[in-house]
Amino acid sequence: MRKVWTLLAAASMLMASVVPAMAQEGARIHLIHGIPDTNVDVVVGGDVVFENFAFGETQDLSALAGATLEGLEVRLTGTDTVAIDGGDVALPSSGNYTIIAHLTADGTPTLGVFANDTSATAAGEGRLTVRHTAAAPAVDVLANGVVAFANLANPNGASADLGVGTIIATVVPAGASEPVVIGPADLPIGDGVSLIVYAVGSLDGGSLTVLTEAISGLGTPPSAVNTGNSPVEGSGVPFALVAAGLAGAVALGARRIRTNEN
Amino acid sequence: MRRLLLLALLASACSPGASNPETTSAASSTITTSAEVSTTSTTRPASALSDQVVPLGSALYDPDVARTNVPIPVSLTVEGVGITNAPIIEVGVEANGEMEIPGASEVGWYRFGPTPRDEGSAVLAAHIAFNGRDGVFRRLANVAIGSIVTVQYDDDSSTTHIVREIAQYDKKDLPLDRVFSKSGPQVLTLITCGGSFNRSLNSYTDNVVVYATPMER
Repeated sequence: MRKVWTLLAAASMLMASVVPAMAQEGARIHLIHGIPDTNVDVVVGGDVVFENFAFGETQDLSALAGATLEGLEVRLTGTDTVAIDGGDVALPSSGNYTIIAHLTADGTPTLGVFANDTSATAAGEGRLTVRHTAAAPAVDVLANGVVAFANLANPNGASADLGVGTIIATVVPAGASEPVVIGPADLPIGDGVSLIVYAVGSLDGGSLTVLTEAISGLGTPPSAVNTGNSPVEGSGVPFALVAAGLAGAVALGARRIRTNEN
Repeated sequence: MRRLLLLALLASACSPGASNPETTSAASSTITTSAEVSTTSTTRPASALSDQVVPLGSALYDPDVARTNVPIPVSLTVEGVGITNAPIIEVGVEANGEMEIPGASEVGWYRFGPTPRDEGSAVLAAHIAFNGRDGVFRRLANVAIGSIVTVQYDDDSSTTHIVREIAQYDKKDLPLDRVFSKSGPQVLTLITCGGSFNRSLNSYTDNVVVYATPMER
């Protein structure tokens, strides 16, 4: 497994000398293909890493965290035509990133790298992030008809934590109310889920659409469960009996009353 | 043409003060593009890196992604403790971050967590006593290990669970990550209050938690 790294040791050491020490807890690095109608091969150092990578597909590069991809090229599938010359790409050794092959505002293929916010969301909330990675001017993103993110330009993103539910999103030119260039699209906001939406494609080419990815497990549980505001008395099984039965267990740290072997 | 493009990004990501990674990283890290055409070898050797790269699912937008059609729990029966077809309503969180709890006669299902059919812990909570009335979980602490718990859903289906564990925790020690877990084995978690009643706080000292697992078929 680790043999590959020896090839890259020099570059990694260079990185180590520049980058402050970080916890080596691994990284999550995804690569998304965000250029419509363009199948590509991904080449590192002249060797094909994977081929026929199609629009909308995702590859998990997490196992390459910390490595430097020397001479990264994105070539049109089956040819030597370089669509994107990425140079030497140093992948982070930790953290959560998405690399997306996309078009610049003027339609040139490029690689964009985004750090994903994995900070905790409050109980009952999720996170919506919108990233402009399309060949199109700046836009406004409307959530349920109200401007949520204004004047978003390629390659910028914007983010907000929202209550759980469904957002109906539309995208319009910045400062305008029409035409709707993307949507309406239903976007689920799930508890503890970060939904990342990429505007991709080309306005002039008529290929504007969205890609999505989700990062879950960011949620926070409720802080307490308070299930009683008055004393138990009167009918029913005497509460004192229950309390007495519990008293022994209460004296133990675990406070476990009963359990079975399973 | 070659450059280490992520260094600036990494440095900013490492900084504890990086408050808005969304815009800063996106703006600073885009790789510029060359339109040059390679004229080197036409051989296409496979890279040693290939095994390290794992294809994932499609990122294409699915119009049905927001459509949820999961049966919602609507009533609860717990054998032996006087809980028979108790109505369940969907609840969330209060403004102070605590789980929302319905009135004395209803059970709250924590709608931001799993249903009892999903992996993880489905939480049903109800009062032991509320505004001077017995709550629907008044006798929950008396349930026996092995008792049957039945949940009915809004599509007239049902699931059956067996009580495996009963625990009592000081409220500050309630294992929130376990109780509200969204992954791991399926467990139905029933929660009420217990311990002694603090009249100055109008609150009980403890939580009583009953864990039930799906009945084997």
